[in-house]
Amino acid sequence: MLDSAMAALASLADPSLLLMLLIGVVAGLVMGLIPGLGGTGAVAILLPITFGMEPPQALALLIGALAVVHTSDTVSAVLLGAPGSASASVTMLDGYSMAKNGQAARALTLAFLSSMAGGIIGAIGLTLAIPLARPLVLSFASPELFMLTVLGVALAAVLSRGNIIKGVSAGLLGLVLGMVGTSPTTAEERFTFGSLFLGDGLSLVAVALGIFGLAEIASRASQRRGQKQNVSLGGGWGKGIREWLSHWTQVIRGALIGIWAGVLPGVGATAGTWLAYGQAVATAKDKRKFGKGDPRGIVGPESANNSVEAGDLIPTLLFGIPGGVPSAMLLGMLLTYGIQPGPSIITEHLDLMYLIVWSFAIASVLGALFCFLSVKQLAKLTKVPFAVLAAGLVAIMLLGSFQEGGQLGDLWVMIILGVFGWLLKSTGFPRAPFLIGFVLAIPLERYYFLTDSLYNGLDWMARPGVLVFLAILILPIVWSFIKFLRARKQANLDDGHRDERPEDDESPLKNSMWSLAAAGIFTAAFAAALIASASFSPEARLVPQLVSIGGLVFSAILLFIEVRVRLRARTVAAGWTLDAGFALKTFLWMTGFLALTAAFGYIVAVTIFIPAFLLIVARARLKVAITYTLVLYVALLALPSLLPIDLPQGWLNTLI
Amino acid sequence: MTVLVAYSPAAEGREALTTGITEALLRKTDLLIVNVGRGHHDLDPAEMQELEAQLRAANLTLTLESSVLSDPGDAVIQIAQDRNVDMIVVGLRHRSMVGKLILGSTVQRILLDATCPVLAVRPDGL
Repeated sequence: MLDSAMAALASLADPSLLLMLLIGVVAGLVMGLIPGLGGTGAVAILLPITFGMEPPQALALLIGALAVVHTSDTVSAVLLGAPGSASASVTMLDGYSMAKNGQAARALTLAFLSSMAGGIIGAIGLTLAIPLARPLVLSFASPELFMLTVLGVALAAVLSRGNIIKGVSAGLLGLVLGMVGTSPTTAEERFTFGSLFLGDGLSLVAVALGIFGLAEIASRASQRRGQKQNVSLGGGWGKGIREWLSHWTQVIRGALIGIWAGVLPGVGATAGTWLAYGQAVATAKDKRKFGKGDPRGIVGPESANNSVEAGDLIPTLLFGIPGGVPSAMLLGMLLTYGIQPGPSIITEHLDLMYLIVWSFAIASVLGALFCFLSVKQLAKLTKVPFAVLAAGLVAIMLLGSFQEGGQLGDLWVMIILGVFGWLLKSTGFPRAPFLIGFVLAIPLERYYFLTDSLYNGLDWMARPGVLVFLAILILPIVWSFIKFLRARKQANLDDGHRDERPEDDESPLKNSMWSLAAAGIFTAAFAAALIASASFSPEARLVPQLVSIGGLVFSAILLFIEVRVRLRARTVAAGWTLDAGFALKTFLWMTGFLALTAAFGYIVAVTIFIPAFLLIVARARLKVAITYTLVLYVALLALPSLLPIDLPQGWLNTLI
Repeated sequence: MTVLVAYSPAAEGREALTTGITEALLRKTDLLIVNVGRGHHDLDPAEMQELEAQLRAANLTLTLESSVLSDPGDAVIQIAQDRNVDMIVVGLRHRSMVGKLILGSTVQRILLDATCPVLAVRPDGL
């Protein structure tokens, strides 16, 4: 154990690994500042770069970024009162109040130090989990692994914020989407409609960047104006450090809550951070200062949101079920390298496990250090309007998702899923179960058939491990059903400690024609999958059919609820809102960009799209647009020689 | 000088409100209402006006307050500490041992954490 841990540390002395870690940290810090990207965006954008690398280098890069995303997202929350990510909005409560009193430096010191400590404690948690879980993991056979994949999707669906029915529907649709391509058991093609391109299945990067990245850009691209306020940091760095030391118990408590929230699938950084804030308030005797600049309101949550990412890695690496969206993508990456998380990573790739742990811990320290050194520059970056950033982000995301298969079809899939992701986001569907379902679809089916061929009938159900997992699967469902009943009877007024976010501002189009349309799309998709799967051979048919029947049941319930709400609604619900129009217009821009790429190649498309988007949508000044385009153009010309990246060629290039 | 009522749109909350008004009139102090119900079930505007008139007749004021904290128990205690209130009035409901063990109880937390006297009332009066 200790040998491999030390060997992994020694391997980090390798300059190429260290360089990747540094690049990852810087990239993670920058992406933490951009609203809406978060850990998901950071991993999705960096993942394509790693395709040509060895696993250790790739992991150092990705873990370096993932570990520090939540360190820098605090900056804009504290200085401007505009959180860079949903989880940083907790820090805003007390951090922004401190900044308004001229104590921004104090708030940032507390936040950076807590983030660092959270990351280190998270890494320690991950280390301790390895020997603890090792005997358990090694006793797993295919029935347990099958149950674990089911649990991964089911827990993500049940525990994600919002409606359970919506969560389960999203998870099941993710499973169906994951089954597109070649069946793992019979090698026949499913849901490909005869297309050669769909035969390999959908690209993970395209799906993740579409559902999360493009959807986020579309819903925020209307923000044309940056923050104009002048930011003063004030003094108090030293005071902040002393104060942080006096709150060390809060730091540890926050980090432990974060790890726990990370271990549970579907409970991400946002929920973990609110939990930590709730606990900090609940355990404080004097609650007067909370929301008005209490250091305890910064320390706990900040430490929690970094340790969540480490906690996420525990079930991902040890059991092969992703604890969150970024780690779902990490899992997908490991699978492409032929590293099977779960029992085999513990026996064969222990060095990689420890490399992850060390990278996480070192990146946390480096991230906090960089933040301290460059806080003034980072603060300037937060003043750039999102619409200006969006132009570059669209170009980068489309380039990124091209790298996995080198096919333009992936980019079309990405934009279509982007529209779908935006619909999910605005109508209150959790998107995490969707992506987790997508990643776990093939392992689920493979383990099921392995189990089925090794055991007679339902004998495998009697294995003790399977029974335990069944119990874990059923309990949360029963629990949330009870909570649902109590909420209906208004009997829950006195229940428990409420740690969730105070109001639901994330899904403005709930209970409108949009959510009705979303329910309709779900139902139609499951029905189509059911009909299409009828033509498969019996082995290839079983799992898709089960999933789509389940999905049909849930989406029918959803449709029924939506229709009933529409019939009962007395007021006219939000129909074509301004934001919805803007988001769809942004998608049209993206489609235009892709059409240009298909016709003239990527470089030409960028030189047309970027200035046009900046001038028309972002309403930036001409000088800005020209410099922006030139910088991006030069960078794109230099990129293929620095990194193993291919630029999409257009139809015109093939003629020449 | 204020009496704080933890109001919720249920029998216990109504009872707490009635007792709170009596108490405020008796003590000749202002009344502060904190909504602890889930969602935004504020008092009926008509009822609000009636209450306000009733208190104004005695030369007292009525305020509604909310907090950034999402937990109603913590919110009540924060506001109570912040406004330095004389007394918190809460409505109790019957909770089984198991119910309290698994779910916890907001009222219990207010009773234990409050830094001022707490008056607890029950709607059935038993």
